[in-house]
Amino acid sequence: MMFNLALFVILCPLAGLCLNLAGSRWLRAPMAGIIASIAAAASFFFAASQLIALQTQPQGTIVVLGDWLPLLGVQWALQVDALSVTMMLLVTGVGTLIHVYACGYMRGDAGYTRFFVYLNLFLVAMLLLVMADNYVLLFAGWEGVGLCSYLLIGFWFDKANGVGTRNSDAARKAFVVNRIGDVGLLLALLLLYVNLGSLNFDAVFAQAAATLSAGAPLAVVIALLLFVAVTGKSAQIPLFVWLPDAMAGPTPVSALIHAATMVTAGVYLMARSQVFFDLAPLAQNVAVLVGAGTAVLAATIAVGQYDIKRVLAYSTISQLGFMVAAAGLGAYAAALFHLITHAFFKALLFLAAGSVIHGVEHGQSATGLYSAQDMRALGGLRRRMPVTFATFLIGALALAGLPPLAGFFSKDEILAAALAENTLVCALLALTVLLTAFYVGRQTLAVFLGEARSEGAAHAHESPAVMTLPLVGLALLTAFGGFMGIAAWLGGVFGEHTPEANVWLMGGATLLALAGIGLAWRMPLVKGRMPCALQNGWWIDTLYGWLIVRPFQWLGGQLARFDRGGLGWLEQRLAAGVRGASWLMSKTQTGQLNWNGVGIVAALALVLAAAVLGGGA
Amino acid sequence: MVELNAHTVVFAIFSIITLGGAVGVVWNRNLVSSSYWLIFSLFGVAGLFVLLSAPFLAAVQVLVYIGAVGILITFSVMLTRGMTQIKDVFNRQSAASGVVAVLLFVVLLVGVVLPVWGPSGALSSAPASDVVATTAELGVALVDGSQYVLPFELVSLLLTAALLGAIVIARDQDK
Amino acid sequence: MGEFDLLSSLPAIAPEIGLTILIFVAVLLDSFLHESQRKGIAYVAALGMAALAIVPIIPGWAPEPGPTGDYLFWGGMIRHDALAQIFRIMVLASGALTCLMAVDAKRVGNKGEFYTIVLVATLGASLLSASADLIMVFVALETLSIALYCLAAFKRNDSKSTESGMKYFLFGAFSSAIMLYGFSLLYGFTGQTNLYALAQFMGTEAFANNAVPVLAAMVMVIVGFGFKISAVPFHFWTPDVYEGAPTPVTAFLSVASKAASFAVMMRFFIAVFPNDLVIGDYVIQNFWVQFMAAAAVISMTLGNVIALSQKNIKRLLAYSSIAQAGYVLMGVAALQATTPLGAERAVASVGFYLFMYTFSNLLAFAVIILFSEATGSETIADLAGLNRRSPWLALTLTIALLSLAGVPPAAGFFGKFYLFTAAVEADLVWLAMIGVLNAIVGLYYYLVVIKVMYVDRSEDEDKPIPTSQTYRWVLGVATLAVIILGTVGAQVIFEWAVQGAGTLFALLPGVF
Repeated sequence: MMFNLALFVILCPLAGLCLNLAGSRWLRAPMAGIIASIAAAASFFFAASQLIALQTQPQGTIVVLGDWLPLLGVQWALQVDALSVTMMLLVTGVGTLIHVYACGYMRGDAGYTRFFVYLNLFLVAMLLLVMADNYVLLFAGWEGVGLCSYLLIGFWFDKANGVGTRNSDAARKAFVVNRIGDVGLLLALLLLYVNLGSLNFDAVFAQAAATLSAGAPLAVVIALLLFVAVTGKSAQIPLFVWLPDAMAGPTPVSALIHAATMVTAGVYLMARSQVFFDLAPLAQNVAVLVGAGTAVLAATIAVGQYDIKRVLAYSTISQLGFMVAAAGLGAYAAALFHLITHAFFKALLFLAAGSVIHGVEHGQSATGLYSAQDMRALGGLRRRMPVTFATFLIGALALAGLPPLAGFFSKDEILAAALAENTLVCALLALTVLLTAFYVGRQTLAVFLGEARSEGAAHAHESPAVMTLPLVGLALLTAFGGFMGIAAWLGGVFGEHTPEANVWLMGGATLLALAGIGLAWRMPLVKGRMPCALQNGWWIDTLYGWLIVRPFQWLGGQLARFDRGGLGWLEQRLAAGVRGASWLMSKTQTGQLNWNGVGIVAALALVLAAAVLGGGA
Repeated sequence: MVELNAHTVVFAIFSIITLGGAVGVVWNRNLVSSSYWLIFSLFGVAGLFVLLSAPFLAAVQVLVYIGAVGILITFSVMLTRGMTQIKDVFNRQSAASGVVAVLLFVVLLVGVVLPVWGPSGALSSAPASDVVATTAELGVALVDGSQYVLPFELVSLLLTAALLGAIVIARDQDK
Repeated sequence: MGEFDLLSSLPAIAPEIGLTILIFVAVLLDSFLHESQRKGIAYVAALGMAALAIVPIIPGWAPEPGPTGDYLFWGGMIRHDALAQIFRIMVLASGALTCLMAVDAKRVGNKGEFYTIVLVATLGASLLSASADLIMVFVALETLSIALYCLAAFKRNDSKSTESGMKYFLFGAFSSAIMLYGFSLLYGFTGQTNLYALAQFMGTEAFANNAVPVLAAMVMVIVGFGFKISAVPFHFWTPDVYEGAPTPVTAFLSVASKAASFAVMMRFFIAVFPNDLVIGDYVIQNFWVQFMAAAAVISMTLGNVIALSQKNIKRLLAYSSIAQAGYVLMGVAALQATTPLGAERAVASVGFYLFMYTFSNLLAFAVIILFSEATGSETIADLAGLNRRSPWLALTLTIALLSLAGVPPAAGFFGKFYLFTAAVEADLVWLAMIGVLNAIVGLYYYLVVIKVMYVDRSEDEDKPIPTSQTYRWVLGVATLAVIILGTVGAQVIFEWAVQGAGTLFALLPGVF
């Protein structure tokens, strides 16, 4: 049976990880990257085998590996169905390209091997997440990707990023914010197990469909809790604040984890748990509003950013809002379709941005006023980095949603779904389309056109082939992703028919995107002042700082003071008692023994006295 | 109430010897005198064994504890001369341990001894066993597979280990 | 009691017979080998014990009821049931690993006597886990203890070692005396010494309305067991002895002696004070369950809290071992479960925990022995940079500590999981909650050690810790065991322990 190969999808990166870990002392720079890339590619190969297996058995299967927690009825088991295979292919495919790219990008870094170990570990966890056949295993993967994200954001933990916060702070912020979401997931799991008696997908969904009616409080609560997890992992209002700071990590990480795969885990969770969302209209409405709101809000903030990666980060949040809104509307196929195309073009944009940073950093002789990521210091890279420019342009146009690129089709499907359900949401999303085209257009203009505005940009040179080839690969996917029949395949998966092409909508969206690009042309980034509110992301970080972080720090300070004063005193006394006793011991040899003997007999006498007074007769 | 007969009188005498000897051990400043008090106390225990119809144990008590252990202790005390004089009879835990010991004694007396073996105790009416185990029976019991052979054999290994350990600890400097 | 049948009785003490032979072999080798060759005795002893540990696993060699129709052999001295076998395996495995760990230890490894005494201690622990008679319990316990006193004081020129031996001895004698007093009370009440016979006399009319004497005897016996498992308030000796004793000895007494004592303690409670024993209106089981629960709470809390401020790694592990004893006591308290299966699972959870604890703790101590032999230091701060000195060693110690802390995929996670589950199933939810809180506290100080190894820097980072081939085997085997017990093996071993626990309860009413 071909399905049995599913295990190897996970085992390949695991083997790569172990190999790199074991050989960390002997392997020199390129080897670790090559091993990791081969592991990722092999994993992709096995994922493809699962796709072939699905041709003969479309409903998929569950590969049971063994018992795990019999008490909870949970097994080590992998679910192979259309949804998980789609995610597998995406994770391993895009992952492989990014691995290859990272071989070049990370060259010369002191933590080269460590980086690839983390990267392979991430693949393992992400695959576990999407292949799990039960919520416990999914949770394990969910935590695993969170851990890898934490490790990789803080990869250069001893450096500070452009904004002035330390990288380790950014990592911690991501970790803490994500924990909030995880609590939601954990609570949902508890509720599921207590009320439905299982955590296996098949059993839970069957049970839920059988026992819960639409709008049942239990279903609503579970769906809302799951959605809390979604807002954490997929960076939605109000928990999106970690993602921009997460750009502190190396660019391949931003591309793989914080654009293409991990952040989409929330959308995957909604698609997987659609039974609950379908039973809870309230949760669906919340999801739609939060998604659409996030899309607009993040897009406005993206307009106000100067950092090349932060623009893309806010753009990611905005696009994730698109997907969440679509999933909330019940258009899971559209959400997944956009997830895939977004993974293509956003990974492409990030990698191209990384290529820019790489090239400019190498051309930079002395650190000037701006860092290599500041778009005000770039410009004119079109001639110096032609491949990067061409691929970035394709990605940017796809993000803007121009035909015939992949982003156009997927965005169009979501807009169509929104139009059918809710005009307000459609309007919000349309506004986002306009803003998206505007900021991405300005970005392209600022980075690649015009004249070089710094020495680094003037002396930049094209990145090596090991980096540009993955760019070309992703550019091809971005260009033709709309025609590969993904939409139809996904429609089949979810039993949704692809909506009729609405020519008016398509035309309108295209016009909006063109208008956005036109505006960008008229209002270049480097001219004029940026509105303060946009530059600072509507001061949301500051607001959280005042409302949440400060009070907690105050509370923590108070607790610490209490800890030092009260508990610390107690703890010191306790330990000092023992230490003092051993000091006594060294002086008099018998001092401690006597006391302890007295202590034992006293304990004995007291227990016996208690028995005499209370226990007997 | 406890009857006053020869048996009780002898019991009282041996008990006084045992307890008095024990008090003498802890109350004495001179370790040599203490070891003599110990022998005295052990002799009282031997007497109690006789009263309990266990003549063999009484003999063993005299032979082993008084003959061997007591003498050994006296020798070792004399060989380690520096420790023969203790400055304080009472150390600083004495008050606390006194309170605790009295408390334990009272609790055990009230909680265990009186309810079980006291005048109206649960077992006070139980007849004392008049079986006197002979030395031969004891010997058989120690090597009988369905009695005590296993602990008996184990004790031999225990003693071997103790011997080895004693040699290791007492042996001269490592080379 | 039936006719004595030697042939059917021998399998019941097969491990002990094997150990006795090994003891003689060790003594003989000691006198014939040259001093430089005496390390060979360690391999003989370790291989012998490993072989003996494997014997009970051979299919078809499972314990069978003896001639009297129950599992009692040798005049009721020992009960040869599956649970005893499980604990014997633990004891033998820890004995074998201890011998190998001692090979390179200075002033210990080249002494034939050391291995002989370890063998005797193992023999005592092995018999202790199967003992079913007060006399047997006491003699086995003393065999174990006296051997350990000698071992603790083994480095006679090291004042710390001597001090620890002395202290261990005085405390041991003290608690043994109290326990013996408890035994004599039990014997005085009933005229019986067999654990399984005691219970029946306990219920007779002599004690029909006064439970106090019985409780008093029980409490005194608990003192003796509490000393061996280092439960609060009988734990005072633990840190000093752990710190002062030669590290292989510390390793041994932290696992083997603890495991055997838990085994006999559970047997004692189940046999002598079964759940249907009611004196007056007083359910005796309630008393010891409450006692165990209270001791569990105090031990966990005290051990964990004091461990937080330790500077010496051996002292840290000493307090950690007090806390671990607290966790296991939760499992003992969970014996109050109302269903047979619940009680069996409680026993099995204790068994599993000690099984994984044996390997985890030995693993931690093995690394510490290597480290202190190479550097002469036992302070936690000196572990700084261990990851850069010897990454494998650091990883091994990390796995061991994570297992002790209860982090998956190390074995400790399932250990705690089963214990907490058993407590919850026995309606001791509050106890499980306290256990979880304590596990969190515990996690902290284990993580601190890991942090020191991986994050802190030191000047000696270019000096790797030399690791001999023997040690690689010890570390490899123990790490493998910890990982297997934490992943695929957890359920298998637990089920096996549940079956073993079944035989502990089997044939209980009307043994004689």
